Amino acid sequence: MGDIAGFLQLTLVKAAPLIFAALAGVVCERAGILNIALEGGLTAGAFAAVAASYATGSPIAGLVAGILAGALLCGLLGVAATRFNVDQIVAGTGLNLLAAGGTAFGIVVVFGAPGASPEVHALGTQGEGVLIVAALALALALQLGLDGTAWGLRLRACGENPRAVLSAGLDPRRIRVYATLLGGALAGLGGVFLSLGELDLYSDGMTAGRGFIALAAVIFGRWTPLGATGAAIGFGALSALQFVLQRAGVPSELMQALPYLAALAALTGIVGRARAPKADGVPFDP
Amino acid sequence: MTTEDAVILRGIVKRFGSLVAVDGVDLTLAKGEIHALCGENGAGKSTLANIASGVLAPTEGTVVAHGTVGLVHQHFELVDRLRVWENVVLGREPRRGLRLDADAARDRVRALATTYALDVDPDAVVETLPVGIAQRVEILRELAREPAALVLDEPTAVLAPKEIDALFATLRTLAARGTAVMVITHKLQEVISHTDRVTVMRAGKVVMRAATRDTSIDAIARAMVGGELPALAARAEVALRPSFTARGLHAGEGAHALHDASFEVAHGEIVGIAGVEGNGQSALTDAIAGVLAYSGELTLEGAPLRGNPAARIAAGVRVIPQDRQREALVLPWSIAENVALGDQGRAPLRHGLTIDRSARDALATSIVKRFDVRAASIRASVGSLSGGNQQKVVVGRALAHLPALLVAYQPTRGIDVGAATLVQSQLIEARNAGAAVLLISFELDEVLALADRVLVLYRGAIAGEFSRAGFDRARIGALMAGAA
Amino acid sequence: MSGRSGAIFAAVLLAIAAGAMAIAGANPIAGFGALLHGALGGERQLSETLVQTTALLFPSLAVAFAFRAGLFNIGAEGQLIVGGLFAGLAGASFVAPGIVAIPVILAAGALGGGLWGAVAGTLRARFGGSEVIATLMLNIIAALVANYLVVGPLHAAGVAGPETAPLPVSSWLPVLLPGTRLTIALLLALALAAGLSFVFARTVFGYELRAAGDAPAAAERAGIDLRRTALVAMTLSGAIAGLGGATLVAGVLHRFNVALSPGYGFIAIAVALVGGLDPLRIVLAAFAFGILQSGSLTMQALAHVPKDVVAFIEGLAIVGLSARRFAGSRGDGH
Repeated sequence: MGDIAGFLQLTLVKAAPLIFAALAGVVCERAGILNIALEGGLTAGAFAAVAASYATGSPIAGLVAGILAGALLCGLLGVAATRFNVDQIVAGTGLNLLAAGGTAFGIVVVFGAPGASPEVHALGTQGEGVLIVAALALALALQLGLDGTAWGLRLRACGENPRAVLSAGLDPRRIRVYATLLGGALAGLGGVFLSLGELDLYSDGMTAGRGFIALAAVIFGRWTPLGATGAAIGFGALSALQFVLQRAGVPSELMQALPYLAALAALTGIVGRARAPKADGVPFDP
Repeated sequence: MTTEDAVILRGIVKRFGSLVAVDGVDLTLAKGEIHALCGENGAGKSTLANIASGVLAPTEGTVVAHGTVGLVHQHFELVDRLRVWENVVLGREPRRGLRLDADAARDRVRALATTYALDVDPDAVVETLPVGIAQRVEILRELAREPAALVLDEPTAVLAPKEIDALFATLRTLAARGTAVMVITHKLQEVISHTDRVTVMRAGKVVMRAATRDTSIDAIARAMVGGELPALAARAEVALRPSFTARGLHAGEGAHALHDASFEVAHGEIVGIAGVEGNGQSALTDAIAGVLAYSGELTLEGAPLRGNPAARIAAGVRVIPQDRQREALVLPWSIAENVALGDQGRAPLRHGLTIDRSARDALATSIVKRFDVRAASIRASVGSLSGGNQQKVVVGRALAHLPALLVAYQPTRGIDVGAATLVQSQLIEARNAGAAVLLISFELDEVLALADRVLVLYRGAIAGEFSRAGFDRARIGALMAGAA
Repeated sequence: MSGRSGAIFAAVLLAIAAGAMAIAGANPIAGFGALLHGALGGERQLSETLVQTTALLFPSLAVAFAFRAGLFNIGAEGQLIVGGLFAGLAGASFVAPGIVAIPVILAAGALGGGLWGAVAGTLRARFGGSEVIATLMLNIIAALVANYLVVGPLHAAGVAGPETAPLPVSSWLPVLLPGTRLTIALLLALALAAGLSFVFARTVFGYELRAAGDAPAAAERAGIDLRRTALVAMTLSGAIAGLGGATLVAGVLHRFNVALSPGYGFIAIAVALVGGLDPLRIVLAAFAFGILQSGSLTMQALAHVPKDVVAFIEGLAIVGLSARRFAGSRGDGH
């Protein structure tokens, strides 16, 4: 019984950053921005959180910094997409590279030595728990918000037909930029969880492709907040399973590969044909 | 400005870079009137409509409106996957605290529907609606804002004759309630029958203003074109030989599918498919082209017509698709490169593993000359050509060698009258030379002008057949709308 | 991007780079100087720059090839790794004269990369699954698989670390410049660029590929099988990247090591874009980025600017270049 509780807890801990990133993905894509820079958002958030905590000694400052960093990175995508009509996948790839290089650079500049930061004041087990609850609460809030508020209606309309939104007298570009800022904040929060929640430091490459797993969770979850969260928890369980099965002799690389293999399986449509928002990733050129 | 005027446009000029779309236009929309704005493609009508409704800002000139101006677009701007009520209240959503008040929204839709006699189910998802009903949603959305004027851009392009009458009845009601109505259209019969005033634009300027009762279809047409209309090629007496047959053709799914179509097209005749958009025309074209799976039999010259598009092209089937920019051309490529599309895998354009450039260029040059394509050279990018010239390239490529079967789907959509007449003449001349031509068009007038036989397509099935001697416009129109 | 805005953009990047160097506590002039000296300051430096150019050229051509067909191959990194793995395993498993061994090793690399590309290609062609997601996932899976194999079941005796046994000297790629790491791989890459340029411009295959990328609906109606094109393009793209991995194994490292690529597959995206997806311009772009790669180590050693600033600038460059629209729809089945 204790084992099961322990397994569930580990699942949630592993799932939390994925939930945040997946929610970010849902918000952006429902608004019509295909955001593959979730990985960059996680990276920027994780790094900024540790840097701020290092500088101020306060994990709360780290929390705020992480949120802002994620918002800034994904906001860049939103601005690039709406003002310059860029190819969103290419821009997202660039942002990921930028975040990886920028944070590796930042480690040396801020902490003095490459590879990792020293340990900093973190959120602790309590803080970790609060963030997990926050993730689940946000999932619910976003689901209700998308379906039942005017904000949600306008956001969804942007993702389907921005022209219709323009005809309705609204500004689809502005709505999309705000969506990427919100999404980026969520991704940043996911990064904060990684570096200040689960651990208490930042190390190069610690996001380890979670941002990409989150993309798979969005597809699995059919672009809904609750669905993506469910998928993220599923991936978290796979991760938690890794520790159990490793003791049974299953190679660690296979376990680590499971979430990515599951994502590939999702692409075969095993999950059923769900449709992305119609205008997802399509530049809007009025 | 009198109190009777809803919108006044004065001295409007609109430039897009070096292109002058609107060149000094004055226009007044009066309350209670239905005002027609006519002109060829590229005359500046849609641009002017966008300026009147506030979507676009004019480069010069002023727009004075006593209230908002609503715009119903030619290609609807609705969110297909959302419901009717969600589309109608978008931007002016009724709320209860933080939540969207869906019930209030539905009530609003029902109230509007009753006022304007535009029956629609508030909870229906837009993409499930037939086109004529979907149009009502867009109209309701604009009416929800209680505009001083309502502009409709080519509203009848997608409607059956009966629905057209219903639409104008609605517009008449609207006008009677004090709204100014402007209809952009090139359907001159409708202008004469249903409107009060006509303004004609050509090349960005206003070239004619009249009260509808004081003018005629001919006068408007001549003003649009700026002279006499070019003549259509003459039909020759041709002996018919069997060419193409379809038996029990089923294709596509859902509302726009084709059901059990059986018909023939002979060498030397034009068979016209009449019907409102969305009744299976696309499924029919795509099945013959080989890009849509179907059941049933197609034969060409006695042999079964099967296989992928390449095989069908090799067998002598040529298709002029509905959307030339997406389905027929590669816009960034040159005319020369585009001309090879469809024939790139076979001699004479193919030489071993490579494309024979001199053969390709020779073909391009001959097409440009034969079809009067106005372009700087065959190296010019197709995207830089006007719609009419683009279509000439497409038609020229299809007719470079006389096809066994030519399927022309909306061949004159969105091009100016001169190019349209040339394309239509080319279809007739292909028929004269012995091609079997299947013409699919949403413009009944075009079908009646060109076809030797007309088949009416309604809800995916052939509802009637008429030969040229017995064309009965009223009866055909009724069948198009689903009459028994 | 027009010439003028391109120049402005480059200037902005330089300014940002200078700013980053200053933040790192270094003198930007010294930083740029060390970079350029490290890349071009002598015969040895120039040869190393060309080594980096070659390493970038293969995956860049791979990425461009797929892009021209309308596909996003973000997985050149993974394809490169799998190609290198196959090449390393093949090369370590037999001894033969170079004239026999080298083609076998290179073919193994192309095979490995091609297979890896084909996985994403199949998911796209058969299931309509987004090749963006597929290649991203496959990058990570490739590293895990390679690591598992060379540390686990395929581990060679006497080897410490995640790598294969060393290649016999007879299987090493012949060196172009004695005393350097510059091998005939450069010539191979240049020949490949020329070959691809010809394929795109003159062949029917290239014509159909471009049509599928630039106007898929029109291409389909012209008889081009879009699914088959997607599979073929992803496979060939992967093969080219895998070939690059093989040249790293046979020419630079003389063994396969899991860490054989410092992200060449991602930087390749920038190179492909800067080169406008044209094979010959990509050669020039690869040289420019090769300068960045090889100079960055000197910049770090001499001017104490962390070399990661280069990755940062490259990412920024990609974002800037994403404004250039690539014709045709993605239709990535997403």
